[in-house]
Amino acid sequence: MADLRDKTVAYRLRKEWPAYVYLLPTILVLAFLNAYPIAYAFYISLTNFGTGGHFLSYEYVGWTNYTTYLATTGWPPLAAIGRALLWGGTSGLAPIFNLAALASPVTTSQLWPYVQNSFFWAGVCIFLFLGVGLGLATVLNQNIRGKTVYRTLILVPWAMPAFITILVWANMWSYNYGIINQLLASAGVARVNWLGSTDTAWVALFVTNLWLSFPFYTVVFLGVMQAIPKDLYEAAAIDGAGSLAAWWRITIPYLRPTIAFVGLMGFLFTFNNFYPIYLITGGGPLNTTQIFITKSYSVAFGASPQYALAAMYGMVDFVLLVAITLVVIWRTDLTRNWLK
Amino acid sequence: MNRRTGRKALRIAKRVATHLVLVGACLFALFPVYFIVITSFSSLPVEAISASSLIPRPSQLTLASYQAVIYNSPQPGFSQMLVNSLIFGGSAAAAGLLLAAFTGFALSKFNFPGRRTFVYFILAISLFPSFVLILPFYLMFDHLGLIDTYLGLIIPYSAGAVVFSGILVKNYMDSIPDDIEEAALVDGLSRTGAFFRVLLPLCLPILALAALLAFVGPYTDYALAQQFITSNSLRTLALGLFSNYSYTTTEGSAVWGVVTAFALLMSLPIFAAYLLFQRYIIGGLTLGAVRG
Repeated sequence: MADLRDKTVAYRLRKEWPAYVYLLPTILVLAFLNAYPIAYAFYISLTNFGTGGHFLSYEYVGWTNYTTYLATTGWPPLAAIGRALLWGGTSGLAPIFNLAALASPVTTSQLWPYVQNSFFWAGVCIFLFLGVGLGLATVLNQNIRGKTVYRTLILVPWAMPAFITILVWANMWSYNYGIINQLLASAGVARVNWLGSTDTAWVALFVTNLWLSFPFYTVVFLGVMQAIPKDLYEAAAIDGAGSLAAWWRITIPYLRPTIAFVGLMGFLFTFNNFYPIYLITGGGPLNTTQIFITKSYSVAFGASPQYALAAMYGMVDFVLLVAITLVVIWRTDLTRNWLK
Repeated sequence: MNRRTGRKALRIAKRVATHLVLVGACLFALFPVYFIVITSFSSLPVEAISASSLIPRPSQLTLASYQAVIYNSPQPGFSQMLVNSLIFGGSAAAAGLLLAAFTGFALSKFNFPGRRTFVYFILAISLFPSFVLILPFYLMFDHLGLIDTYLGLIIPYSAGAVVFSGILVKNYMDSIPDDIEEAALVDGLSRTGAFFRVLLPLCLPILALAALLAFVGPYTDYALAQQFITSNSLRTLALGLFSNYSYTTTEGSAVWGVVTAFALLMSLPIFAAYLLFQRYIIGGLTLGAVRG
């Protein structure tokens, strides 16, 4: 009974109210520097800012940007959203059931390939990060000489600011003077025009991003592995389990929440991480490595800025990522670990 | 007998393989950094860089690139760019530290109504692609007359790491037993007193990490600075590095040594901080990730 009373909102408010005081600065900062600008960006996405309107004379155009670009993406779910908005009508006064709009054929706009690339980019990256991170952590988590030295050296890429090392990698992949091609040449292998064709450009991007990220994953997984109680392994050895079986039955289950959490966070971060692609390939060759977020950046700050479209892309990106997160949270036990 | 030597051979082979894998990983991790260092001290033009120049002869070494960076960097000069970057990074670190400490404390040690919602809310907010906010920021700060001023960048930078480091500090505080706080309360401290005198000192490692993370973002930011800074005197290291770099790619290669020297000088403070705080960083990250 006492428990029940403890949990009433009024009781908790009375006892825990100082928390709000501590949170106040953060709430103010987030409201002013995140919530308000996001709402502002949403408003801009409903205007013709840069797509007809000018800096100080843009006007509200309703869902036009969404309907024009989403309804024609060629990807059913996104198109459905766009067409649902189209239903409501761009002026807000159109009939709810606009059969003509529904029946119109879906043509493919430029948007969908970039979204596809984002999923490809983030998916392959996270697969590499988790694989290499787990592998190296497993190898490091043995009784070997020089363990701390190895760990320190592996951390080095992570200690360099990414903005700087990405620029250096971009130079290393260069066709004529890049050191990678120079090394290949001296090994008697033909030079590769890394950034000149789609497949090799992706390879360059994945290797670079792996280099940027694998230290973090390795160190985090290693840390968790070292926290696994040793008696678990001893008991398994007594039961006759080999080291591979122990790894699969003890290490991996123990790491599962970490893998899920780090994997999800890494996916979301990589999906929105535009520096590697922007600085190395610039989305080239011919936009084939362009992801959603680099596309929106070039729309916003390119030669002819179309802010309203960029803001619309930002909103779509945001909704997509929130949706992915919600699905993952529902389908896994992540939340239990988050909010204990 | 035979079987035993076989098993021993297998163990040695396994150990050799282990070290091979780790040495390979270290080479991969270190090569670009080594390349930056070598290039920055090299007197060779970029056209002459090859596999054999990776181990430079003494006669090919020079400090010319560093001289060029320090004395001949474009306006406002390397030292002023460094000062600007330190101002932006330092103020963001101070703000980030304060906000992360308060947020972590509130989320970890209080069970207030709305706690869960709040965490979901800030996590959701952090999913918004940050550069899309540049335009709203520009309009807002233009309205306040803060474009192209220190304050105009210090303010948006201060929010950069709040969510991530707030959660990091929360997880770290979760691992500190409540008994410690309760003991402080029994000793007559108020809850605020216990926070400042007992909990915060225990959280120093994670707070160092939070400050470092908050520092690095603005220190290396390009996207926002590029749009907000128009006068030379406010230019930061990231802008200077990028203009050097794009000059290299468009004008040929002669200044590649300057780019790498610039890059190295710029990353040195951060690199040193990471290595110095290594233990705390690893501890903080691991705890954060274990708890999620």
